[in-house]
Amino acid sequence: MDNVADTALAGSGSGPAIYFDGLSSRRRAVAVAFKEQLEISGEGLSPVSSPVSWAYSDIRRVDGGPGILRVACLSAPSLARLEIRDAAVVAELTSRCARLGENRLDGRGIAKIVGWSLAATISIVVVVLFAIPLAADRLTPLVPEAFEARLGDAAEVQVKTLFGERVCNGAAGQAAFSKLIDTLRKSTDLDIPVQPSVLATPIPNAFALPGGRVYLFNGLLAKAENPDEIAGVLAHELGHLKHRDSLRELIYNGGTSFLIGLLFGDVTGSSAVIFASRSLVTSSYSRDAEQNADTFAIELMQRLGRSPKAMGELLFRITGKEGNRSLSILASHPFTEDRLKRMSDADRPASGSPLLTDAEWSALKSICGPNKS
Amino acid sequence: MNQVSFVPHHPPPLPPVPAAFSGNRGEFFRLAARGAALELVTVGFYRFWLVTDIRRHLWSHTIVDGDAAEYTGRGKELLIGFLFALAILVPIYLAYFLISVEAERLKGFASFPLIVGFYAFGQFAIYRARRYRLTRTVWRGVRFWMDGSGWAYAWRAMLWGLLALLTLGLVFPWREAALERYKMQHSYYGELQGNFEGRGWELFKRCWWLWLLSPVAIMLFPLAPFFYAEFKAREWRWWLSGIRFGGVRLESTLPRTALYGLYWKVIGWFMLLSTAMGAYVGSCAFLVSKMSGADAGAAPDALAKSIPLLVMLGIGYLALILSLNVVMRLYLQRDVWAKVSASLQVHGIEAAADVAARGDPASALGEGFADGLDVAGF
Repeated sequence: MDNVADTALAGSGSGPAIYFDGLSSRRRAVAVAFKEQLEISGEGLSPVSSPVSWAYSDIRRVDGGPGILRVACLSAPSLARLEIRDAAVVAELTSRCARLGENRLDGRGIAKIVGWSLAATISIVVVVLFAIPLAADRLTPLVPEAFEARLGDAAEVQVKTLFGERVCNGAAGQAAFSKLIDTLRKSTDLDIPVQPSVLATPIPNAFALPGGRVYLFNGLLAKAENPDEIAGVLAHELGHLKHRDSLRELIYNGGTSFLIGLLFGDVTGSSAVIFASRSLVTSSYSRDAEQNADTFAIELMQRLGRSPKAMGELLFRITGKEGNRSLSILASHPFTEDRLKRMSDADRPASGSPLLTDAEWSALKSICGPNKS
Repeated sequence: MNQVSFVPHHPPPLPPVPAAFSGNRGEFFRLAARGAALELVTVGFYRFWLVTDIRRHLWSHTIVDGDAAEYTGRGKELLIGFLFALAILVPIYLAYFLISVEAERLKGFASFPLIVGFYAFGQFAIYRARRYRLTRTVWRGVRFWMDGSGWAYAWRAMLWGLLALLTLGLVFPWREAALERYKMQHSYYGELQGNFEGRGWELFKRCWWLWLLSPVAIMLFPLAPFFYAEFKAREWRWWLSGIRFGGVRLESTLPRTALYGLYWKVIGWFMLLSTAMGAYVGSCAFLVSKMSGADAGAAPDALAKSIPLLVMLGIGYLALILSLNVVMRLYLQRDVWAKVSASLQVHGIEAAADVAARGDPASALGEGFADGLDVAGF
């Protein structure tokens, strides 16, 4: 076949090629001729007598092996392939088919992908920053309280599994605790029942679960010096309940994790990026929620005529000054010193009666049995 | 079968023909490096096109009996498949959440069994993803294709998975053989039906000692890559040698030590790049503390707050991830592919000389699910 190739393009313009008709895997040695259209002729082609012809403008390059020009034709069976190895024929065909490379992803195609990706990124960022907080705020009141209570039940089972059954229930302490919670609740317009409990763990913390559960850790009780400090913390947790913050945060976190995960897809190691960017946006959201709960606590304490500053002092005793240690934009709570300052500013001399008697206070302090810490 | 003049070297009976891989390593490296950079710029969306480019490169340089294969899938199809998969997965995730709330209420962490549902979905995705890839594979103008049911496959995978769990992995070879048999018996090249003749017992005989010694390998780190490489090479060889399409029979001669070098090179690069990253972090911290040394007595805590430092670390992290990406693709995809396809012998290739075309391309939904669920499978 080589001698055919050498003389191929002299006058009429033709040369050897391999042809697959897309209907069977049969490999056919054919001759291609450069006429009005590209004419493919050889033994066993169907229809038998007339050559197959491909319009030059319909011919597209597809992936072939090294050193082979493999082309398809838009108007032929989609898998029909013509393979040309002869350099002269390749050159001739390339010069005749203006749209040969249209199948390939060129610079413009890539620029388009980049552009659309940036647009998608911007839209996701906008959704995360503005639409999801809005949706969370709007959706939260729509979620029935019964469902919120179920969420709380589910979370409570996990809390019990994590902290064991270490719920403290010294009778006198329990009575004092109930009295404190009731006093606080009566001066709010909180319309769901509150189920408070003290857990015997040395961690100084407290949290609220959806559906009215408030947990106080014994570690916090141990660090407290007067009932107002604990009352402030509990008022703060009631604020979370009032604002249904857990539910809101759940909707918000679910939405942002989903969207940010979608954005980064499977770039290896992206989980770190997802984690970082998520904690950035969600912590600013939770800082707002904390701020609001603080406001709620301050107002509640003022209504009771007690000092809102006490809670700030308790927190400061536990965390110390925070500003040097962590990045403010990453923190889930406002810095303790800022919270203390806010509460001190709102402080007034006590006008109401003490929330607990001395006896009740010491009963509460030892609700988990004799205190060591 | 009368027109064999164009394959002049085959007097009957035909000896097996070797497959070959003709891809240029530098070309693949440029492709992977450029793809990683574009993935960064497009925050990951370029992955659909990069995966397509890689497959096109690998397929079109794999030559069997003188003819290179062709991959006809496109990045856009994968993107659309991914979006469709999301549209289906989002309600499922929501339902999953609501059901798990109910389940958790009854018993702590009771929603765990629901994960099993996702496992089944992942298996379904694996089957459908393979179907997508197979129907985009064309050789000699005829496509490969696949029928069968993704859910039927998922059921089989689940039952075998349960069995494997109960026997601590002992039945793994039989699981592999049974699942591959299902996949291959539903695969076709034109009108040639596929089959899988590899036996679980064969794989077991080749790998049982690796299974027995695997606890040792896990504890003794330097052994683990050897074990894994040895296992992978044996598995590849067993898998390829079991594949049939009509009268066409594949055989692999992959030496059991063939992949040792590749895994160690990846580990070497990983260590090198991590060390470089460590040095970079160290010098960045040093530089920043020098620069801000003016406001004396700055606590080490202040360093963690420094914005320039965080930016520099972010850049370093991204560079590390991108280069690891390129290393993994180069060694674990391209080089493994090259070694494995070079080990391939095809018997009875004459049965594929005149196969009538059949079958239609399948949608990319399966790949979308696999991407959305983050499962990998073959």
